[in-house]
Amino acid sequence: MRLSALACISISLAAAGAKAGAIAPEPARVAALQMEASLAKKPDVYLLLDPERRVLEIKARGAVLDTVPLAGIEVISQQPIMGRRLPSHAPIPAIWTVEQGAGDSDREIIAPTKLVPEPKNDDDDTEDEPTTSAGPTPTPTPTPVTPSSYRSRLDSGWDLWVTDQLPPQTRWQTLLAAVRDGWRRLHGRAQNYIPAITLAMTDADAQRIHHLLRTGMPILVADEM
Amino acid sequence: MIVAPHDEFAQSRRSRWPLALALLVAALLLVTAGAAAVLARLGRPFIASPFNATPSVGVDSDNPAYLTKLAGQAVREIEKVHPKGTYIVVDSYRNQLHLIQDGKVIRSAVCSTGTGRVLRDPRNGKEWVFDTPMGERVVERKVTHPVWAKPDWAFIEDGYLPPKDSSERFDNESLGNYALYIGDGYIIHGTLFQSLLGRRVTHGCVRLGDADLEFVYHHAPIGTRVYLY
Repeated sequence: MRLSALACISISLAAAGAKAGAIAPEPARVAALQMEASLAKKPDVYLLLDPERRVLEIKARGAVLDTVPLAGIEVISQQPIMGRRLPSHAPIPAIWTVEQGAGDSDREIIAPTKLVPEPKNDDDDTEDEPTTSAGPTPTPTPTPVTPSSYRSRLDSGWDLWVTDQLPPQTRWQTLLAAVRDGWRRLHGRAQNYIPAITLAMTDADAQRIHHLLRTGMPILVADEM
Repeated sequence: MIVAPHDEFAQSRRSRWPLALALLVAALLLVTAGAAAVLARLGRPFIASPFNATPSVGVDSDNPAYLTKLAGQAVREIEKVHPKGTYIVVDSYRNQLHLIQDGKVIRSAVCSTGTGRVLRDPRNGKEWVFDTPMGERVVERKVTHPVWAKPDWAFIEDGYLPPKDSSERFDNESLGNYALYIGDGYIIHGTLFQSLLGRRVTHGCVRLGDADLEFVYHHAPIGTRVYLY
């Protein structure tokens, strides 16, 4: 967590308040403030995506709990290299909700095949190793590796693609990618993706927000909050 | 010099080799380029376009006084619920807990949080998700020398049937010296497994080392807000 962010959680609010008091705010800014107020009313965590400042903030009750700097925000879509038709822009400010989260389906399941009565330990003189019990049973298996590139489906009809690397975009690289995809399509192995708002960030940041992008997580998209 | 017809033929063949090779290479290149062009025409590579950050929707009014009033209302609503005074922030990915007092971090501690695993009861398929909850919670009560009444999952996870006698559920060691109850059975407590601090190994509770737990216990009164993410 960025401690400076914690210490300065009120700054954006104060600034917004000052702006609201000094000159009449833009209708879009007012809409964004109202959206944030509706999210802050609930005790849940929400995300704020600020394309202008290129940050994704983790917030609750209007306070910034953590900040993820973004290397880029792009709209990524699958297009033919000739006759492209770029997807229409998403209206902002808006609240998007994760409909199908990347973190939904990667849970490890523990399923004992049968249960037996716990053996009684009547010998009070022997001291047991603290193997069983309270919340604290040490886990015998390693924690699964969190991916650094993943997609979540949003209720806006877009995907949210978190990645540590944007697709290559030079002409030559695009041509190569088109040939590779054409080859896959020829063999019936191609995958079709719906357009995605793509957030590029370091792999460490992508991993650390993975568990937040679960079904139901609201994302407020607004500038300069 | 007289050249034998056989030698003349061989010489002629040798002189045509480079041309034939060049033609072959050109043909291969043409075929490859043609195939690549067909594949490229067939392919749908990812194309990036800039995200348009220009606001396109807003409140349906252009009255400056009305807009100012609405903005002020929204800001006040946010300020009303904004964390104040003493509160706790738990980062469940990095396994860190911060105790904040009047905007200053007065203690940062390594903690352990939920594994995110799912436990399934083989008898009826009931499932428990071992996530540390996200969002705002409140310290509802505080206890010294807490006793843990082990729920069913604590037995099932180890392959044991939950006991019918409730006295077999009590454990007065595992939670450490202090416990801060934050609702729905989630607790900020101590641990017997200090070496596992900093890892996601719990069933959803937040575990702290002894010294950090004591500090948090004494500085976070009942009613303290806890923000977990």
